[in-house]
Amino acid sequence: MIRTCGILCAAGGRVSFLLAGLLTGGLVSIPTYADNLLHHNGVGRVYDPYVLPLERELELRTYYQTDDDPFESDILRQRVGFGAAINERVFAELYLIGMKMPGRAMRLQSYELESKIQLTEQGEYAADWGLLVEYERERSESVAEFATTLLVSRQWGNWVGTVNLGVEYEFGSNIRNEFDSFMSAQWRLRYRESLEPGIEIYADEFTRGIGPVLTGLVRGSGNQKWHWEAGIIVPANDTTPDYTYRVLLEYEF
Amino acid sequence: MTPSRQPSGNVGRKLKCQMRRLTGAALCCVAMSAQAQTPVFEIEIREHLFYPSELKIPAGQKVKLVIHNRDATPEEFESYELNREKVIIGNTQGVVFIGPLKPGEYPFFGEFNPKTAQGKVIVE
Repeated sequence: MIRTCGILCAAGGRVSFLLAGLLTGGLVSIPTYADNLLHHNGVGRVYDPYVLPLERELELRTYYQTDDDPFESDILRQRVGFGAAINERVFAELYLIGMKMPGRAMRLQSYELESKIQLTEQGEYAADWGLLVEYERERSESVAEFATTLLVSRQWGNWVGTVNLGVEYEFGSNIRNEFDSFMSAQWRLRYRESLEPGIEIYADEFTRGIGPVLTGLVRGSGNQKWHWEAGIIVPANDTTPDYTYRVLLEYEF
Repeated sequence: MTPSRQPSGNVGRKLKCQMRRLTGAALCCVAMSAQAQTPVFEIEIREHLFYPSELKIPAGQKVKLVIHNRDATPEEFESYELNREKVIIGNTQGVVFIGPLKPGEYPFFGEFNPKTAQGKVIVE
């Protein structure tokens, strides 16, 4: 997802130590002077590193944010996707991404193509590894983004920890070309298939958010499944919205 | 550098050949050692049934399940208790790593034929 959901207002440079930051597990963007992004919210989802051959899915994700700043409050984002496994290791998905500002209609904002690659067999090594490659393009502005994310997951008894570490390159004539990095993580209890509580963390150049999440799986007939996630992310800094409510629904068939 | 200190062409070739053999043997040992650390168990899917339907494995040890799907249709080995799901295309085989597990019974089923394809892993 494009982290720059609005207009880059202030010109300015930043120093980013991308690889070193990723290796140390930290975020790498160090603003040198004021960056100001409108309607930015780095809350997304935490991806596991697994691909199932023959799987197809329809996905609906909704994000709603509120904030004490009325200009950053009452913003609704939605993304609709269709994905299918290309082979035993690769899953591709195409998204349409919309955004609704207060008092306005929902507007198609961008398109995204993502591909998830399973790198290791589940349980074969101490952790399971995957890679996510994304390309997103704004519909009405010359703004695009290319991102690569490392997906790592490990199970400890009934607990599963998953970390996504990514680097993105934003480019276009309506944006300053730059690298950014981002991270998300989930710590989840495998309580029962239909209900798994957990906690999620999101961080990028502007976002620092943490909050509870509930996930689950409901089986239909045959190989049909409904996967759902719901969470509330609260800020750990001043540039993250006060509350971000997120809901995800996947129909797998 | 004196010519007498250089191996002749034949000697050089023999040395290279021996080095290749040693490297190959070392790699083979490493592979065998890695395989020896992970016991392998085999399961077959035939006419939408698992054979064996009960599989005993040792506790506290990672094992490798090789699942042969003898049917022409795909099947999905699935188990919430084992935290595994794996689609195996018809007439192919798939690998699932499970464990280390505590003693107990861990049911699994075939998602495409859940009424018939059922089984359990017994850890003891």
